[in-house]
Amino acid sequence: MFAEFDLVMPSGLDEALDILAEAGGDGGLDVLPLAGGTNLVVDLRARRVSADKLVGLGRIAALRGIERSNGRVAIGAGTTLSDILRDPGMAEAAPSLVESARVFAGQMVRNTATVAGNVCCGSPAADTVPPLLSLDAELTLTGRDGSRVVPLADFFLGYQKDQRRPDELVTKIAWDAPKPNSANLFYKLARRKGDAITVVGIAVTVAAEAGKCTTARIALGAVAPVVKRAREAEAMLEGEALTPELIEVAARQAVEESSPIDDVRASADYRRHSVHALTRRLLTQAWDPATVGG
Amino acid sequence: MTETESWANVNLRQVGRPLARSDAPGKAAGRTRYAGDYTMPNMLHAKVLRSPEASARLRRIDVSKARALPGVACVLTAADLPDRKASTDIPGQTGKKKLATDQQVLVKERVRYHGEPLALVAAETQTIAERAAELIDFELEPLPGVYDPFEAMKPGAPIVTAPDNVVGQHKVRKGDIAKGFAEADEIIENTFRTQFIEHAFLEPEVGLAWVDENDVINIRVATQVIEHFRPIAEAVGVPHNKVRILGALVGGGFGGKEDVTVEIYLALLAQATGRPVRLAYTREDSMFGHGKRHPFVITHRTGFTNDGRITAVKVTITADSGAYVFLSPYVLLYATVAAPGPYRVDNVHVDAVAAATNNMFTSAFRGFGAAQACVAHEAQMDEAAKALGIDRMELRRRNFLRTGDKLVTGHPIESAVWSDECMIKAWEALGERTPDAGPVKVGRGVATYQQSYGRITWLHDTSEAWVGVEVDGSVVVRSGVTDIGAGQVSALGQIAAELLGVGLDDVTIYNSDSAVTPLAGTTTATRGLYMTGNAVRLAAEAIRGRFLARAAREFGVEPGEVDLAESKAFLVDRPDTSMAFKDLVALCASEGVHRSELVMFRAPFTGQIDPETGQGRVHPDYAYGAHAVEVAVDTETGEVTVLKSVGAHDVGQAINPDAVAGQIEGGAAMGQGYALSEELCYEEGRLTTPSFSEYLIPTAMDVPRYQSIILESRSGLGPFGAKGIGEPALTPVAPAIANAVADAIGVRVFDLPITPEKIVMALRRAEAAE
Ligand SMILES: Cc1cc2nc3c(=O)[nH]c(=O)nc-3n(C[C@H](O)[C@H](O)[C@H](O)COP(=O)(O)OP(=O)(O)OC[C@H]3O[C@@H](n4cnc5c(N)ncnc54)[C@H](O)[C@@H]3O)c2cc1C
Repeated sequence: MFAEFDLVMPSGLDEALDILAEAGGDGGLDVLPLAGGTNLVVDLRARRVSADKLVGLGRIAALRGIERSNGRVAIGAGTTLSDILRDPGMAEAAPSLVESARVFAGQMVRNTATVAGNVCCGSPAADTVPPLLSLDAELTLTGRDGSRVVPLADFFLGYQKDQRRPDELVTKIAWDAPKPNSANLFYKLARRKGDAITVVGIAVTVAAEAGKCTTARIALGAVAPVVKRAREAEAMLEGEALTPELIEVAARQAVEESSPIDDVRASADYRRHSVHALTRRLLTQAWDPATVGG
Repeated sequence: MTETESWANVNLRQVGRPLARSDAPGKAAGRTRYAGDYTMPNMLHAKVLRSPEASARLRRIDVSKARALPGVACVLTAADLPDRKASTDIPGQTGKKKLATDQQVLVKERVRYHGEPLALVAAETQTIAERAAELIDFELEPLPGVYDPFEAMKPGAPIVTAPDNVVGQHKVRKGDIAKGFAEADEIIENTFRTQFIEHAFLEPEVGLAWVDENDVINIRVATQVIEHFRPIAEAVGVPHNKVRILGALVGGGFGGKEDVTVEIYLALLAQATGRPVRLAYTREDSMFGHGKRHPFVITHRTGFTNDGRITAVKVTITADSGAYVFLSPYVLLYATVAAPGPYRVDNVHVDAVAAATNNMFTSAFRGFGAAQACVAHEAQMDEAAKALGIDRMELRRRNFLRTGDKLVTGHPIESAVWSDECMIKAWEALGERTPDAGPVKVGRGVATYQQSYGRITWLHDTSEAWVGVEVDGSVVVRSGVTDIGAGQVSALGQIAAELLGVGLDDVTIYNSDSAVTPLAGTTTATRGLYMTGNAVRLAAEAIRGRFLARAAREFGVEPGEVDLAESKAFLVDRPDTSMAFKDLVALCASEGVHRSELVMFRAPFTGQIDPETGQGRVHPDYAYGAHAVEVAVDTETGEVTVLKSVGAHDVGQAINPDAVAGQIEGGAAMGQGYALSEELCYEEGRLTTPSFSEYLIPTAMDVPRYQSIILESRSGLGPFGAKGIGEPALTPVAPAIANAVADAIGVRVFDLPITPEKIVMALRRAEAAE
């Protein structure tokens, strides 16, 4: 059962930010933003989290909508996983994110869970984060005093720690749509297909020009305290042709950059095995001439 | 997909038809009232406080803060209760009890498992009850525990159940295994491990209790067994006739609502407060609230001749009974009887033992020991086929039991044994083989089984039912039977409608009320249709006989020349000569013809088997069938996708083929979870997978379109030759999947569940061995 709390449902962003700002400070009320509630409500019920007040974001029109201009894609914080799947342009604008939405939870959760809520829950197993990292996404954090833009790659500071101040909201997530001659892939490995917590989630981006890899991104989920990029593995690939040998070396390097733990879902050993197998698989698929050009 | 194939040449009008079940409209429209939907004015809400330790001494428990919380009506601890225990034995007609292993209602001193109840709270609201439970101050002194059945049987192990933790033992000694193994050209020996699993019914345990003006404690509860009013009365200290159990349609049982769950807590709180009390478990409460499936370790040694004939089987089974002895001895017996599989074996040796530990207690679960046994014997057949170079199905075929053959217990099987027919049908339905795709390898597996239906014959099982016809021709059936979602009630309606020649809509059924409906026994052991279906059949037949006689007189013919159908009595040879059923009934009523009948149906009664040899009769009869699957295994990640899954079962006679298909499909999904993903993990007795985010049942996205094939031998002991399908539908599924995975990757995982990780490790070991 729930601990007791108040719920406010402002219709304007300023109003929401005011409530958050007033709450802050020592001895102030504990106020949390509530998006789809698919994490927060579960945590409140289990009493892992408590709050005096929740600010529901569901009625704030300013947080809705997906925009695309000049190759830049921006989604409002209210964008749900189902919105991602329904948006006709998204398959091109963020193939890995679409794939993560496809294998995300089940239909009911997808209809209400937001991408921003997924990012803000800070879970290393959050499924949209590896795709967004592989796309070099940026977050817009907005408080009463204004906004700042933070690269997602710098957002997480440690296990369930991030750069957001309690009086800020994530209002927008934006990235550049993948260039032609590039591939952007995601694979979720879990113990079952629906409603499963990810055991290993991997997203890669490979862009190519004249037979050489120009950009490589490898984002690793559920194998470290935060979702992280395997930067050294990425560096090995950039400027090179992705031969099977090089892919193998990079996949092994990705394992080196992971630091998984044993838990009820899988052992650290199996997670390392899977980082290797999946990184190799995704890079091999990405280097397919049909996608990155011959 | 439900491809129901039925080729029995049956001249029945309603039985065997996929009629819309009587419980369907309410469920489809959301109108069905489950036990948790009932409320009463002035009702209190209850909460059970549970032990966070698995093995401990309760040093102190102080409820004063909880009692002082405004809105709290009652807090009970062991100190407030009379010194009585709750029976954990099979409820039933005999009243015979086994070892003195009954359970304390609340912990008095010794905590034996994680989740054992320490205190009960009743309060004005659920939130207050929960807060009060948190305010209870207690101190537990951890004590050494034992968490493995093998450890539990070693000298010096902490004693959970005196004197030696051994809580059940069964043996079979048939033929001469030394000779049998000496005759073998090939001996296959393997050890299999199965896990603790959870029933995961949709509806967690829930009930509402009140004490009425006659001092009867009424309990409306989600249960498989209304006959629990007896042990509940004994635990509370009132005569049996002062407890009344009312059921409701149940949101799934699978054996998990076969033991008493919330009833005694409710009775005690209602008694103490004089007010109605509701107790609804959360999913997490439910994980602690009922017994689990027994984990087994099975070592199976099978001898074969080069041409694939089994010469001997030696099986040892060790089961974890957990902290209390619920149905372990019976589960173990079923496993013992099922151990060699549906095969003719002359030389058999089985040693089965169940030991107490400080893990969660284990009890009934669909398949009841035979499901675990099947995991081992069906893997053995595939391993042997591989070693002998004989086709897997051909090897089975050479060994299948046939009608008249003696079972492992020496008793002959009298009904049809259509294992081969079912196996062929299931396999053929897999169709064209899906090709491999890179690292994704496709495999196929089949499994056959032998599953009893009906209870152990020395429990002297009976079932009563009442059928009556109102003066307007409408029909009433009264039966204590509980409907746990399989359509138990609707099937009874279909039987009564068939025999009285009225529509299913013309029948109203009152069920699940221990005070007013004749006791049907339990909805367990695949006995509901067999036992209660027969009781209803006999009652309806008696009335039918009287009606036919009266109609015959009216028509001036012999009763054998009259039939009842479509709400008419008519001449078989001249259907135009007829009278409306309601007119016939009115006539009978005015003349005082008895329009109702109360019947008791009795299963075969026997004495016990010989404890040294296991020889004798154990069950009324057995069901046979097969399940076949095709899987795809990603050999890099170990992920398994079930592509096709087909159950083919000889159900004797389907009363409602759609309901049968429902059981087969549900069994296929449940068995898939058992094979691949479900596992309750206990670390030093502590449950580490207490919710559906760690305990992984298959979702809609994990399952293929299931296929059901129904075969009808009409050879069973149930009404119209029915056998049963509740448990059989599940039993072969997990071994079929295990066999398919082994077929796909060339190596076998011997421990369930077959997780991606275990597959990767098995492949790695195989690679290292090469
Ligand atoms: C059955 C089930 C299945 C699930 N399956 C998956 C899965 O497959 N993959 C996966 O990754 N997750 C899964 N989840 C977890 C959850 O659904 C996701 O993390 C979801 O994206 C959270 O979004 P939400 O909108 O529901 O966030 P909420 O629960 O409302 O909020 C989550 C957190 O983010 C904060 N927050 C929300 N929005 C903002 C904002 N705009 N600015 C600042 N802070 C904010 C909240 O205060 C809270 O701390 C599952 C959950 C359930 C219950």
